[in-house]
Amino acid sequence: MVSTRKLRLAGILVVLALVGVLATTAAAKTTRTHGTTITVWVDSPQKPAIDASAAAWSAGKGITVNVLVHAFGGIRDDLKTVSPDNAPDIIIGPHDWVGDLATNGLIEPLYPKKATLSQFPSYALNAFSYGTAVKKLYGAPYGLENVGLVVNTGLAKVPTTFAQLEKEALAFKHKAAGNIAIAVPQGSGGDAYHMYPFFSGLGGYVFGTNKIGNLDPSNIGVANANFIKNAGLIDKWNKEGLINSKVDYNTAKNAWLKGQAAFWITGPWESDTLKSSGKHFKIIQMPKIVYQSVPFLGVQGMMVTKYAAAHGVDSLAKDFVSNYMMQPSAQLSLANANGRAPANLVAAKKYSDPVLSAFGKAGVGGVPMPNIPQMGAVWSELGGAWVKATKGTGAVPAKTAFRTAARNIANKIG
Amino acid sequence: MSTKAASTHAPVTPVFKESVLAKLIAAFSGTPGIVLKIVLLSVANAIGIWAIVVLGTKHDWIAAAVVVGVTVAIDLLYFARRAVPAKFLIPGTFFLIAFQVIPVAYTIDVAFTNYSTGHILSKSDAIAQIKQVTLTQTGNGRTFTMAVAKDSGGHLVLLLSDDQTKQTYVGTSKSLTPVPKSTFTRASDGSITGAKGYRVLNAAQVSTVAIATQLQNLIVPAGGDRGIRAEGLDTAAELQPTLRYDAKHDQFIRLSNHAVFHDNGQGTFVNGTGKTQEQLLPGWKADVGFLNFSRMIHNPLVRAPFIRVFVWTFIFAGLTVFLSFSIGLFLAIALNKPGMRGRWVYRSAIILPYAIPGFLSLLVWHGLLNDDFGVVNSLLGHIGLHAPWLFDPNWARVSVILVSVWLTTPYFFLISLGALQSIPAELIEAARVDGAAAWQSFRKVTLPLLLVAVAPLMIASFAFNFNNFGNIYLLTGGGPALNDNGIAGATDILISYTYKIAFAAGLGQDYGLASAFSIVIFFLVATISAVSFWRTKSLENLA
Repeated sequence: MVSTRKLRLAGILVVLALVGVLATTAAAKTTRTHGTTITVWVDSPQKPAIDASAAAWSAGKGITVNVLVHAFGGIRDDLKTVSPDNAPDIIIGPHDWVGDLATNGLIEPLYPKKATLSQFPSYALNAFSYGTAVKKLYGAPYGLENVGLVVNTGLAKVPTTFAQLEKEALAFKHKAAGNIAIAVPQGSGGDAYHMYPFFSGLGGYVFGTNKIGNLDPSNIGVANANFIKNAGLIDKWNKEGLINSKVDYNTAKNAWLKGQAAFWITGPWESDTLKSSGKHFKIIQMPKIVYQSVPFLGVQGMMVTKYAAAHGVDSLAKDFVSNYMMQPSAQLSLANANGRAPANLVAAKKYSDPVLSAFGKAGVGGVPMPNIPQMGAVWSELGGAWVKATKGTGAVPAKTAFRTAARNIANKIG
Repeated sequence: MSTKAASTHAPVTPVFKESVLAKLIAAFSGTPGIVLKIVLLSVANAIGIWAIVVLGTKHDWIAAAVVVGVTVAIDLLYFARRAVPAKFLIPGTFFLIAFQVIPVAYTIDVAFTNYSTGHILSKSDAIAQIKQVTLTQTGNGRTFTMAVAKDSGGHLVLLLSDDQTKQTYVGTSKSLTPVPKSTFTRASDGSITGAKGYRVLNAAQVSTVAIATQLQNLIVPAGGDRGIRAEGLDTAAELQPTLRYDAKHDQFIRLSNHAVFHDNGQGTFVNGTGKTQEQLLPGWKADVGFLNFSRMIHNPLVRAPFIRVFVWTFIFAGLTVFLSFSIGLFLAIALNKPGMRGRWVYRSAIILPYAIPGFLSLLVWHGLLNDDFGVVNSLLGHIGLHAPWLFDPNWARVSVILVSVWLTTPYFFLISLGALQSIPAELIEAARVDGAAAWQSFRKVTLPLLLVAVAPLMIASFAFNFNNFGNIYLLTGGGPALNDNGIAGATDILISYTYKIAFAAGLGQDYGLASAFSIVIFFLVATISAVSFWRTKSLENLA
């Protein structure tokens, strides 16, 4: 009995000691001790592009760039809770995260050279700028995306005026049951992003700007006087069936691919679908309604987190982001790998993909999606108002729907 | 009959047939058991030691002490031959604490803080970040072409060339000294490759941890409160603070007009009051007492549609449970008939919705119920019907209840089937002998006996559906929007409505407010459940 007990105790002690040693060495390995390391968080579709850029930048510097895949939304949310040891030095994300991240104090302002800044359109820089009193650049923009009007040229003529679009679309719709006039992805919850060209063409805007050019959350333009004056057109479109919010994303896509819709509102993420569809098509900006019908702009970019300084790599991370990544050559290779038109104007001139360039042109004059955190209160209300006004029979007059939305947004922002 | 026959036999010594469980226990009582115990304890200890090492490197001594205590306690407990009941209780208790007690305690803790967008850092981090953000570029955005070098004494210096004036400087942490342009050797692209009296470091040399850290912390004084700082490996910018932190009084002072930003006690530095109040970003996570609860009461977003949402939550949860139970029970009785052909096929088919992940089937239903393009309406179209399932407020309410019932019925079918089989057939036989009709015997005998077993599960299901965020969010997103005052949609239940207020209003994410809401909803559900359980006791008396 005693011997078993001794054996048992000895066994336990040996295993414990072994395990303890292993655990300690494993823990020691995870702490940063050797070499300079920069950690980048990126969503999986963009990883190859960022990998290539990171390798080109770090060559000869002796820096290891860890490009880690993170779920798209997780990049923003996990940055708020990550422990400083595991935190990234650089993140990749869309510009509309900037307000949220800067308000939380998680990203650092950048100060690129004037010569570099002058190669970017002001809206791309504005998209990544945020501040309540002083506006700061918080990210290096590199990829642009926006929706355009995709016209199946085999089914309809490319319209130059909105009246022409309306006539063509309705004529096509009446040709056969099941045809859709203009396929605008909506669905029961609405989709403010895809309907924005109509909204802006009628004079709507989300937030106005204050004296120093920053977005002002107290100036809500969802039911501004100009828009309300023109809102009757939405009721007319609803009645004649030009727009139908019951068309959701997949319905719109399938209808266009099956030739049951001649006009489709979509963006560069469907570029491969379009190219392989075998259809003849043209991508344009939607013709002017009352005002220019501009889309929302989304800008992809890189941001330096506050943790870069804690890791001692602040200057290095900024070199990668605000020097290297903003140069035309880096922007061009990133654009080619990523399937989005480059933000840098010099690079954009050399960019040759016909479909993506056409989407880029459809975005001229576009409005960056507001990057202030108050935008979270807008999406569902704006999309919901459009759905209420364009759901066919039983629709609410657009005036009422958008006034309700404006009031709710103001209440939500508080 | 058969029992009587058996009793006539002489009593035989019963052959003890070991159960699988007993065999298992026996197998693990010897050496394999000891080995398994050692392995499991080693794993537990390894995790403990690993946690202690990690916590130690982070100087989190309290947590480390707790881990040491728990690990030692577990070892002592399982080494000792005594305290057998504790050996069985400890794992359960451990998981209870880890997955129930700690999250609840954390939620309660968060409910009393302002943890939300703009308030996630600690105060010291927030102050450091404000100091960073307060820096602004001077003049017209003065930037420099830069090279990192070491002087003869081995100190890190910046070789600077103003991009606008082309003036050249050598900057140290003490001073900025103009030097003649001829001091620097420049490459064709303008970058500085060398300088008389200095050793220019190449990219690899600058990129070592030691130099990179020195570089990011090197601020060259440029007169007044301005400073020049590296913004990369070959670029520097001149920056100037707009605010000064006064550590003694714990306040920020704006340099241009001496406006004072004081700590408002709620995690923000503020200047002024009311509409003209200015806040510095970011703020920090601070204790705010009952502020979140008073915001709940005073928030017009909460007050306006509260009653409507509250009533609808009851209708949604109540109808879902009632209908699912009724249909489930009906099907269970129908399929409980002995000797029915293909019982297993029917039973499996009914359980199917339960086996498919809810996330999937909800999204599928969302597509099926599409108004003009969905399968349901195109089928109904053949008989001349058309329902605006997800677009009309009342139809949307019908839709969410229908889909919830579809998802919940299999559950009640299963438990009803089980409960039915546990009701002794003699009782129903007796009722029939006493002349009860089928409905009467069901109403007076089967149902009361069934409810004893099923009622607690109905209460649990009600509580679950009361907070069934997934069903609402994935099917209708709480919509469609209504025209009344407030942001709750037609199908929003309390929990999805809370989500809208806490995560799609204000500045985005308000964990503090969300936690306060969860506590209130917890008390609501707990009260309802407690009252119901108390009432079901009367059912047991009946039995």
